[in-house]
Amino acid sequence: MDPRMCRQISSSESLPDAENVEVEESNIIMPQESDDNFLLDGSPEPHSVTWLDDDQIDDLDINLDQNNLFFHRVDSADIIYRNKKKKCKMVGKYVMGDVLGEGSYGKVKEMLDSESLCRRAVKILKKRKLRRIPNGEQNVQKEIQLLRILRHKNVIELVDVMYNDEKQKMYLVMEFCVGVLQDMLESSPGKKFPQRQAHDYFTQLLDGLEYLHGQGVVHKDIKPGNLLLTLNQTLKITDFGVAEALDMFSPEDTCYTGQGSPAFQPPEIANGAETFSGTKVDIWSSGVTLYNMTTGRYPFEGDNVFRLLEAIGRAEPAPPPRCLGPALHSLLTHMLSRDPDLRPDVHQIRRHAWIQATPALEAGERLVNPRSRRSDEHHNSTVIPYLVERHYASAQEYFTERDLRHELGDNGSRTMSTAELSDGESTQCKRRWHSSCGRLPSCRLT
Amino acid sequence: MYIPDINEYQLTSIVAECCGGVAVVYSALYKPNNQHVAIKRYFVDKSKEKANLIQQDILTRKELQHPNILSYLTSFVHGKELYVVSPLMSLGSCRDVLDRYFQEGLPELACAIILRDVLFALQYLHKQLYIHRSVRASHVLLDTNGCVKLSGLRSAASMMVRGRRQRQLHNLPPPDHDNANLMWLSPELLEQNLKGYDERSDIYSLGVLCCELANGAVPFSDVPTTLMFTEKVRGNRPQLLDCSSFPEPLDDGEMKNLIWNEPDGMYNTDSGVGDSADGVCRLRQVYAARKLSEPFHHLSEIALQRDPERRPSATQLLNHQFFKQIRKTDFLPSLIGRVKPIKPDANDMSALLLQEKMSEMDIEKQTEWDF
Repeated sequence: MDPRMCRQISSSESLPDAENVEVEESNIIMPQESDDNFLLDGSPEPHSVTWLDDDQIDDLDINLDQNNLFFHRVDSADIIYRNKKKKCKMVGKYVMGDVLGEGSYGKVKEMLDSESLCRRAVKILKKRKLRRIPNGEQNVQKEIQLLRILRHKNVIELVDVMYNDEKQKMYLVMEFCVGVLQDMLESSPGKKFPQRQAHDYFTQLLDGLEYLHGQGVVHKDIKPGNLLLTLNQTLKITDFGVAEALDMFSPEDTCYTGQGSPAFQPPEIANGAETFSGTKVDIWSSGVTLYNMTTGRYPFEGDNVFRLLEAIGRAEPAPPPRCLGPALHSLLTHMLSRDPDLRPDVHQIRRHAWIQATPALEAGERLVNPRSRRSDEHHNSTVIPYLVERHYASAQEYFTERDLRHELGDNGSRTMSTAELSDGESTQCKRRWHSSCGRLPSCRLT
Repeated sequence: MYIPDINEYQLTSIVAECCGGVAVVYSALYKPNNQHVAIKRYFVDKSKEKANLIQQDILTRKELQHPNILSYLTSFVHGKELYVVSPLMSLGSCRDVLDRYFQEGLPELACAIILRDVLFALQYLHKQLYIHRSVRASHVLLDTNGCVKLSGLRSAASMMVRGRRQRQLHNLPPPDHDNANLMWLSPELLEQNLKGYDERSDIYSLGVLCCELANGAVPFSDVPTTLMFTEKVRGNRPQLLDCSSFPEPLDDGEMKNLIWNEPDGMYNTDSGVGDSADGVCRLRQVYAARKLSEPFHHLSEIALQRDPERRPSATQLLNHQFFKQIRKTDFLPSLIGRVKPIKPDANDMSALLLQEKMSEMDIEKQTEWDF
């Protein structure tokens, strides 16, 4: 778990959402032999530890230095974990899962469509938070409008929009993705991808951009942080918060505002031009993205946003390293032309030599896998434990690390099932009723 | 070559409505050679989203040639509707047969013949790098000659994507109108994780089909979809019901107890088979009194294994002991003798009316769909 999510608080604080946090090691019951045998979670003792997410930390105002954590040395086999109850929560027909990511607007959680069993991601927007962000509410409205009409395999699909007026929340249900290119880059050696992998993602980005520009939509915030990957490695352009639909009757693609991320902004925006070509902004940002994916660096750097924008506005980009090879070098230089008119459009990029030929995976290079928030390399559904809580009321309350390992080894899944653990013998017994299966009418009767 | 023109076909009766009212299947006589055919009429307007699936279905079937896969004869547009012509399977689907004549399940030998032929179809499909993804009794069609054919290729997926062979797929098949298809799907397919699934997912579905054919009812049909999902993920599998798996018929009191003790008390035994208490009791007695062979149990168990790595391939399953009981002289239609074939019904007014209406319609230029 992310260490930032671990904070100590006093037990008197009320924690409305704490049930939703993952199974937690914090709920430790000390072994019998020690006399200070206490239950940490929810007990009246002063040393209660509960894990919070950033959201809750925001809501609390605690001086962390005043709190101390005590560590007792305990053999891992003696630790008994309490199975944190995963309270199953439904929003509409969707079952809520764990948090996938967080943004300034709110959280992104996993969901499961209880009818089609399709995995989904939901962006939960809180009105209270949106108001704090400049243009927050307008941007969201614009994003919804745009996503409703856009349909392409490389553009994130907005599946459903739900509102909860009482809680002042908005739910944007989207396709499920396993990772963000940004996170993958951060976890990879040299913070870059092998050219082979970058080529795969970049050509998909081009497909998506070609569609968007064809539809008269400029994204204006292309960056690895806004490029997602699905289970089958399909790239999805996401976050249309600052995107703009061009005037369909104008022959030009003139834009007036740019609100994208500074490091990916072109010189014309950095210099504060009043009008500029919209599509060429995306070309520049895609160029910076490709530069970043293949080198692990940025063409412009600066100590702060001001310096960075100054560098973009005045200086030449740091030349791409020679080791990239002449083809990629020329493509990057072309895309990062200071003059927007000299930058290629999507079609020209497509014909470029580096795009045409798939680079080979060089010796020693390894493809980077989508990183998981949890230590779960297969990205299993995080909704399953909630469903187990819902459907199997008698789920085991306490378990040890050995149980956990046993279970993970056996099933490779994170389900907190106890039927398999406690009933291992009966499953071996040929055709005896499976413990929970027996409760099912379909298996029992028909 | 069948002529793609509605005037060459004389509709004789309505066979079934399918895909949640999006299509109707008629039996028809093909005038040039007096052959009986089945015509599936799609209301394309009603299913804008699904038009590409129909197209996918036709494209896939055009590509495939196997005696155990429903072949494609021709297709054409007439008025606002799309017509797809296939050979007529006059005993209908296994689901129809179970619902109408064999609520307690088909005789074991009939199951063996059907499953063997479905496996031949799967063996071929897998060799062609296709995953069927909706192996279920309603997609297994029978005729009076003893032919067993697999249909439902609309949900089939190719392992070839953009010219490259994929080791696994990750997406759910396209949803059907009531999401019923999920009940046959393998745990790894439903999980939608990075491990993905491959052709062995079809073998799991074949295992579910085993239970469906033998028990009459669809496993998991009476529980919430999410519970079906967790059951599969936890490795609980449906089974064949006979005296070994269903030892003592419970008396009424015990049975009520069981029903009342359901978690949440929300599941009823709405299996579509024996809704009345009498029906349930009768089915219980049938199950408890019969004995299915050991190889049959074994086949369903190995096909329904949670770990796809341990499931045998279609080819391996075809060598299974269970199929050794089939002799060359066994003839499927006589094993299920009560089933009546679809007969052209001269008095079927609806079909006749429809025919009339069609001939009245302005005939636009007939064009075969050119894919």
